[in-house]
Amino acid sequence: MATTELPLPALPEAHHEEPSGIVDFLTTVDHKKIGLLYIFTAFAIFLAGGLLALVVRMELAEPGLQVMGENTYNQVFTMHGTLMIFLFAAQVTTGLANYLVPLQIGAADVAFPRANAMSYWLYLFGALIVLSSFFVSGGPAAVAWTAYAPLSTNEFFQGTGMDLWIIGLAVVGVAGILGAVNLVTTIFRMRMPGMTMFRMPLFTWGVLVNQLLILFAFPALTVVFALLFLERNFGAKFFDPAAGGTPILFQHIFWFFGHPEVYIIILPIFGIINEVIPVFSRKPLFGYRAMVFAFFGIAALSFGVWAHHMFTTGLVYLPYFSIMSLLIAVPTGIKVFNWIGTMWRGAITLSTAMLMSLGFILVFLVGGITGVFLASPPIDFAVNDTYYVVAHFHYIMVGGLLYGMFAGFYFWFPKFTGRRLSERLGRWHFVTFLVGFNLTFFFQFLVGLDGMPRRIADYEIERWTSANQLSTAGAFLTAVSVLIFIWNFVISMRRGEPAGDDPWEGNSLEWVTTSPPPHHNFHHLPEVHSERPAFDYRHSSAFAAQTDPERNPDRGRGR
Amino acid sequence: MLTRRRAFALRRLALATLVLAIAGCTPQSVTEEGRAIHNLYNLFLYIAAVIFVVVSGLVIWSVIRYRRRGDELPKQTHGNNKLELTWTLIPTVIVLFLFVVTIQAQDKVLDSSARPGVNVTVTAFQWSWRFTYEGTGAEVLGSPEHIPEMVVPVGQTVRVKLVSADVVHGFYVPQTLFKRQAIPGTDNQFDLTFEKAGLYHGQCTQFCGLQHPDMLFRVRAVSQGEYQSWLADATRRGSAGQPGT
Repeated sequence: MATTELPLPALPEAHHEEPSGIVDFLTTVDHKKIGLLYIFTAFAIFLAGGLLALVVRMELAEPGLQVMGENTYNQVFTMHGTLMIFLFAAQVTTGLANYLVPLQIGAADVAFPRANAMSYWLYLFGALIVLSSFFVSGGPAAVAWTAYAPLSTNEFFQGTGMDLWIIGLAVVGVAGILGAVNLVTTIFRMRMPGMTMFRMPLFTWGVLVNQLLILFAFPALTVVFALLFLERNFGAKFFDPAAGGTPILFQHIFWFFGHPEVYIIILPIFGIINEVIPVFSRKPLFGYRAMVFAFFGIAALSFGVWAHHMFTTGLVYLPYFSIMSLLIAVPTGIKVFNWIGTMWRGAITLSTAMLMSLGFILVFLVGGITGVFLASPPIDFAVNDTYYVVAHFHYIMVGGLLYGMFAGFYFWFPKFTGRRLSERLGRWHFVTFLVGFNLTFFFQFLVGLDGMPRRIADYEIERWTSANQLSTAGAFLTAVSVLIFIWNFVISMRRGEPAGDDPWEGNSLEWVTTSPPPHHNFHHLPEVHSERPAFDYRHSSAFAAQTDPERNPDRGRGR
Repeated sequence: MLTRRRAFALRRLALATLVLAIAGCTPQSVTEEGRAIHNLYNLFLYIAAVIFVVVSGLVIWSVIRYRRRGDELPKQTHGNNKLELTWTLIPTVIVLFLFVVTIQAQDKVLDSSARPGVNVTVTAFQWSWRFTYEGTGAEVLGSPEHIPEMVVPVGQTVRVKLVSADVVHGFYVPQTLFKRQAIPGTDNQFDLTFEKAGLYHGQCTQFCGLQHPDMLFRVRAVSQGEYQSWLADATRRGSAGQPGT
């Protein structure tokens, strides 16, 4: 009954007239709309980066230069990596976090709504600065997304494109830090009464640890970009050995950011999987606390492993970085076992979101296991900078990130829009993606073991051709699967089956509000007694009263 | 006509794929140091295969076995400390074991010989290589158009001193299973002991700008006698910059 309801959280200033359309999205400080802006922008960048990947695969289908010259190829793969890593991967999850974290902890918005809007606009303009480099003379940067000095210094690579790259990404980095301050504060300070830390949904936990990592790792990125910019434009000599500098400095600072970045990208995805699997297994997550500790274990270790990207420099202490990197397998393994424990003796429904989560576990397993290989310096000597590494991190990034992201899209689309995505198209999407993805990247392991280096437009060894052709075919099949998803999105927006508030019998608080949620998120909030408040609420007497329309005429229905 | 040719091409592709997949373990190594890496890789591969089969088997089995069959809620288990401790400890033990074998292999790979038979300074530059045979006056200079060849004797330790003249490069001969970055301002040293005569493909692996894919070289491992006569010949030509083959 009404006595189990809690007072609503403090509302931001009342909005009597809600603007709509473009003006609304340009001026909004609503975390949900900002979240959607993040997701749409990041997805658009993902499509652009994906097109560049297809261009790369076309060139590599045969030895020789067919589609473009070497300089264009170098620009294409550099911008592919730049768009995907810096402008898509971390931002699409930030978008989901923006939308979902306040809902999951029972808050009306994030702690600093205006700063939140500023983060998004900084991100967008930073991204546009990077993209503008396509239109300057000389074109965009062609120094790989890692931009190792001294190749990226003015001595070896001139042109405005490179400077725009640095400036744009530095702006995006600042946006990330600002966003992290906001989300971390939100999670620490805005939880509703009863929502203790150990009752937070695991997606929110994943976001908390991910944003803490951003706070510590992004400043290193800003530093390395600042040094590079000074060296390029003002004659600084940080990386010039002739003037007492050293090129290895760049690699150290870059990877001090770069390795945590991998976990920045993947931790919210772990969070998504942690939400989806329990719901579709109809069981609570197996080992909730172990999962939280595993998040922190991964985060702590991630700052001690950066030099495993530098085993072949001959300038790092191998055993330390080897054991730290190997140890990351332990908390990661705990997660996988906990997911199996959750499904064990559950009641599993194979919705598209669940299929994507299962796909995630399997490809992430391959990516994780090959990561253990790379943590061993002697094996790394053999496969570093070959297609083996390319395959490995695409199993983590494309496999892990995209499966998790799609799982999240299928899972929360009903909450965002009030409609479901088509499950039939979802299955097609899943199957084409599973086949296309593995076709693209599995053979890259083999050709990498055979010695094919990454970042080459042309190869002289004929026996690498067949693996490359399969990989190219797989890339186009993957593109088809993404088109199926876009088609699904377009028709489901207009004609999708109405979802209601809680289509999946969800566990966390976003499922007790309407779909889409009202401006201030909740008309009413249940009490929180466990990490599954929506589950508890559904099995309480208050729920029966709430769902009786005659007793609650003002309860909004999904549009 | 076209379809038959395409069918043939497809069959050839499938066959090539199969061969590639079967040979998908590491290529055999032609150096003493590489053999240690090859063995280590295979050990990792066996353990990884078992882990992959067990874990993916558990995932697939639980999905098939525990499909939802009605509205009844399954038993709401929250965890099991003993079980969770077990699946924390087992991976820890495996990882520590892998660390120990890693260190053992690494010592073999990086062990530097007290008396190397040949000292070669390898200079990487945009976009080729120079091989300088220390103490002999012999030198091989390449260019993107003329792929240089590094001639070494079989069975003797070759001490490579790796330097860069401009940006970061990577010295890599796939069949040695070994690579090292050439970093400006840094002298990197390592030993290679070729056990089999042959001509081996080598390539820069660290992206180094416009013509990075053209930065190729060869290693020709020959018998001691052939090496001596090649060296005498090369010394006579000196550093006049005779390009390699």
